Amino acid sequence: MALRRQSAILAVLLAPVTMFLGVFFLLPLLIIALFSFLTPGLYGGVEWAFYHWNYGRIFGWADGIMEVYEPVYLQILGRSLGYAALTVMLCLILCYPVAFWVSRLPARWRLVFLFLITLPFFSSLIVRLYAWLLILKPSGILNTVLMATGLISEPLEILYSPAAVVLGMVYVMIPFMFLPLFASVDNLDRAQVEASMDLGGNRLQTFVKVILPQTLPGIMGGAVIVFIPSVGNFIVPDILGGAKGLMIGNLVEQQFLSARNWPFGAALSMIIMSVVLFVLLIAVTRARRGQP
Amino acid sequence: MKSPLGWAALTAFSLLFFAFIYAPLFVIIGYSFNSNPVNMMIWEEFTLDWYTGIFGLTERAMDANSRAAYIESTDQMLAALRNSLFVAVFTTTISTVMGTATAIALARYRFRARKLYDGFLLLPMMMPDIVLGIGLLIFFVTLGMQLSLMTIIIGHCTFLTSYVFIIVQARMAGLNPALEEASADLGASEWVTLRKVLLPQLAPGIMGGALLAFVISMDDLVITYFVSGTGDTTLPVFIFGMIRRGVKPEINAIATLLILASVAIAALGLWLRSRKTD
Repeated sequence: MALRRQSAILAVLLAPVTMFLGVFFLLPLLIIALFSFLTPGLYGGVEWAFYHWNYGRIFGWADGIMEVYEPVYLQILGRSLGYAALTVMLCLILCYPVAFWVSRLPARWRLVFLFLITLPFFSSLIVRLYAWLLILKPSGILNTVLMATGLISEPLEILYSPAAVVLGMVYVMIPFMFLPLFASVDNLDRAQVEASMDLGGNRLQTFVKVILPQTLPGIMGGAVIVFIPSVGNFIVPDILGGAKGLMIGNLVEQQFLSARNWPFGAALSMIIMSVVLFVLLIAVTRARRGQP
Repeated sequence: MKSPLGWAALTAFSLLFFAFIYAPLFVIIGYSFNSNPVNMMIWEEFTLDWYTGIFGLTERAMDANSRAAYIESTDQMLAALRNSLFVAVFTTTISTVMGTATAIALARYRFRARKLYDGFLLLPMMMPDIVLGIGLLIFFVTLGMQLSLMTIIIGHCTFLTSYVFIIVQARMAGLNPALEEASADLGASEWVTLRKVLLPQLAPGIMGGALLAFVISMDDLVITYFVSGTGDTTLPVFIFGMIRRGVKPEINAIATLLILASVAIAALGLWLRSRKTD
């Protein structure tokens, strides 16, 4: 009796989420997979016939008549992976020292600075990117200041460049790197650090052998959380990158909203999804094996 | 171990880091009060015109046509704000209920698919929003569903349920199950225990999750961008379109108001979290 009642409650608790995510999350992902193997319709839409040239157009087995292989798609994929990796590296370099600093502050100040880190997360993404547009413009603040101080004579062309895209992504991703990193830095066993120094280890040895291994879970966690949304990002390159800063997310958006080739867009999305699932799989299996 | 010089360098680096995070926000706030509409980077004089302008209050020397266009875009912006609030309220309600129910189910009941649910609930959060956005777009269009505020709400709920789940789950982990056992031993039914013992203890976590869901829903751009119909934009999509069409000084004022609103909400969240539960 009690058991039957329990499973009834369990069913009530889980039924909504199961149905909702089943229909509106799993099905859409399956539909992307399905569409990536369908023939593009003449005026948008699809024809329900198997078609492998969508992938051929990206990876090189295009039929040469309807679909043309362009190495540019692979280049853009490579660029997206590169920008995402660079974003992870830069976020890490910026956040790691600051995480140490915040963790050593008196309790009251720690709370203040932790709040200051999370605050930008609460303020609108589009507003923060727009701010960088104002700063990086040829007539923007950065150039105005640099020219006024005589450091440069011509305005730097930072906006609409790869540098602007990476800068923008680093800026919006910082809280996502900082919080997991801070959690592991804060748990660092200080006694072990002191023991290492007492036993004659120098700073570098202590860092590599004691501090780094202990904070590796935070580093890996932050890296995954920053890398994944960066790969498919299209807002940052749309606002701050020009043609040279185009990423795979922009290609997907173009295929869906202007070129209206949905199957090709779906194939490109499948690539983003595969990268993400691959990264998640590695992260999960490594965490399972108990190593960071 | 910590040398004063090393510490000073670390402090300097950290303060620069915080300056880097906040400089862009202050740039916007500063220039929302600058009267120079041509080059916003050159300071002319203090003005509130852009603020009164976005609410259609400024009497400016304009010909009838541009005045009409101006009022129209103000109306559109206010409509977008209303849409954003409408979507956020419904999304928050739905995702909070589903996320909380799931967190309770996974923490208090043993069943075979528990591990599976644990991983599955994280997936919508980790899926890049562009993939989820176009997946939903194809899905709705294939099904013949009209893109509307409802499709936006559905889109937001798919990933915000995960956020609520994570936060409530963290709160669940800190609770003492003995209280619920005591309640059961004293003869309370499962539902009474849930309502009178578990939910009050969970309240701060649920509030925190709901607040986060609300803020993210208000701010979501990518999923909304793909699943919104032509008539129904939200505020972030409206601003995105405005920026794409070229920079107008009114954006600074809108952005400043948004920054102030988010500071207020974040402060509220912090206050809720720091409050002790009784």
